Amino acid sequence: MEQSPYIRAMSALYQGRRGDRPAVANPTSIVCHELMEQTGISFPEAHLNYKMMADLAIAGHEIAGFDSVMPEYSVDQEAAALGCTIDWGDKDQMPTAKDFPYADFRDIEVPENLLEKPSIRVVLDAIAYLRKHVGGKAMIIGKVMGPWTLAYHMAGTENFLLQVGLGEEAKVRRMLDQLMPVTIAHLNAQFEAGADVVTLGDHCTRNLVSPKHYEQLLLPLHKIIAREVSGPIILHVCGECSDRLELFSRSGFAAYHFEWSVGALRAVQTIGDRMTLFGCVNNAQTLYQGTPEDVYKQARMAIEAGVDVICPECAIPLSTPLENLKAIVAAAREGFGK
Amino acid sequence: MHELLIKINDAVQKRQQAELVPSIEAAIEAGLNPKAIIDDGLIAAMDVVGSEFSDGIIFVPEMLVSAMLMKQGLKLIKPLIAGGSDEKKGKVLIGTVKGDLHDIGKNIVVMLLEGAGFEVVDLGVDLSVDQVVKKVAELKPQIVGLSALLTTTMPEMQKTIAALTESGFRDQVKVMVGGAPLNQAFADSIGADGYAKDAAEAVSLARRMVSA
Repeated sequence: MEQSPYIRAMSALYQGRRGDRPAVANPTSIVCHELMEQTGISFPEAHLNYKMMADLAIAGHEIAGFDSVMPEYSVDQEAAALGCTIDWGDKDQMPTAKDFPYADFRDIEVPENLLEKPSIRVVLDAIAYLRKHVGGKAMIIGKVMGPWTLAYHMAGTENFLLQVGLGEEAKVRRMLDQLMPVTIAHLNAQFEAGADVVTLGDHCTRNLVSPKHYEQLLLPLHKIIAREVSGPIILHVCGECSDRLELFSRSGFAAYHFEWSVGALRAVQTIGDRMTLFGCVNNAQTLYQGTPEDVYKQARMAIEAGVDVICPECAIPLSTPLENLKAIVAAAREGFGK
Repeated sequence: MHELLIKINDAVQKRQQAELVPSIEAAIEAGLNPKAIIDDGLIAAMDVVGSEFSDGIIFVPEMLVSAMLMKQGLKLIKPLIAGGSDEKKGKVLIGTVKGDLHDIGKNIVVMLLEGAGFEVVDLGVDLSVDQVVKKVAELKPQIVGLSALLTTTMPEMQKTIAALTESGFRDQVKVMVGGAPLNQAFADSIGADGYAKDAAEAVSLARRMVSA
């Protein structure tokens, strides 16, 4: 008997009963032009209006066939609430932050009404709307940025990393410590609004920092976040991270969403017994530029390797063909294989 | 190599901030050729730093500190070069494409290209196709470098190359592309002349492009 998408995805999240086939869920955005066209909902409206945000997320479930809904498409919701100027983009462009209000590393002023700031409220309202309309039918995934990524937004990535390189540890730690409560408050609020699981984007990738800096500066905060938030968290770190998988597994987070460059088999063999794995169809060459057959093959490779939940590796390019997204679902429908 | 050049090289390579300026001042006082201080001290150090970065021995924070030290060193020495005119290897116009504000990778490429003797015009981030075409017309570079970190902004590279073709400038410049989500196949598919997987490789590619 076919499982419901919700039970399939939740079961996979906890590495529970396998059911009829692997789950397909998206910790990051799967919005593409064709989904916008078919729903009549576009950017930037879908970043700013909770109903549009939620209805576009539902399209990922109802039209693309994913077992989940994920309504937050930008990485800038918290940054906007903390005072960054955001260009919310248009149908061809994701939002971007235009300034770095704390480039001088002064103390971060977290607004008392953080959760009522429009860019946060819109996500919380969208999640509540999703709970009402697809709760128990599809897995509702929230998304929050971690202190490391927020520090990039506050100080500027290069400026922040330069301080790390210069060994300005006190300065770096103070900023991270001041941002962590923002992450925790937003995570808890998304769970209270109705999220089943929340993605935590915190971009301490090998492309940017050493595993040593992750271990010293961020892992202790990740452990606190995992302890202070009751719901399951999916850690998402873009890029190649194979040199720090063991460290991720010590965070206490339930799951890890990884990119193609990490390698499905390597992720499964290294930490698959300690974290649920979400991954890892390549965005640039396969989903965006490849054929449905290419996508199907790569999704099957992830399934055969033992990845728990199949999905794109990160937010997809907006011009990704919808049929390529559907090819991930088609690959999952073939079942678990060996 | 002179002991002071080794000290300068070490200061940049090993990120010994306190050592750099006194070593350069001592080298100048000792009458060492300013060109040798740049080539054997600073640029040679950055070549090693670039390789260590490519090999995953160091990461962006360490690279940024070395690059900052190299710049400090260049600032001290350049005025001493006769007439202040050191010969440039070529002109590179570089930027991050529309919709993408990620500029660390691009900035590191800029630093290494400058260190390697190229004249670099950094157009910044979030570059529209029209801005690129306008600047190519105005500045007539040999190379245009385009960077993207996001898979969501990669399509902008193709649009930029198409616009260079439509405006008649395509055969006057070499286009090199780079950024975390890219690879050679993508570069080929959009008609770029070259792809570099990291900053050190971008310098080698630029050298090949201007000598071709």
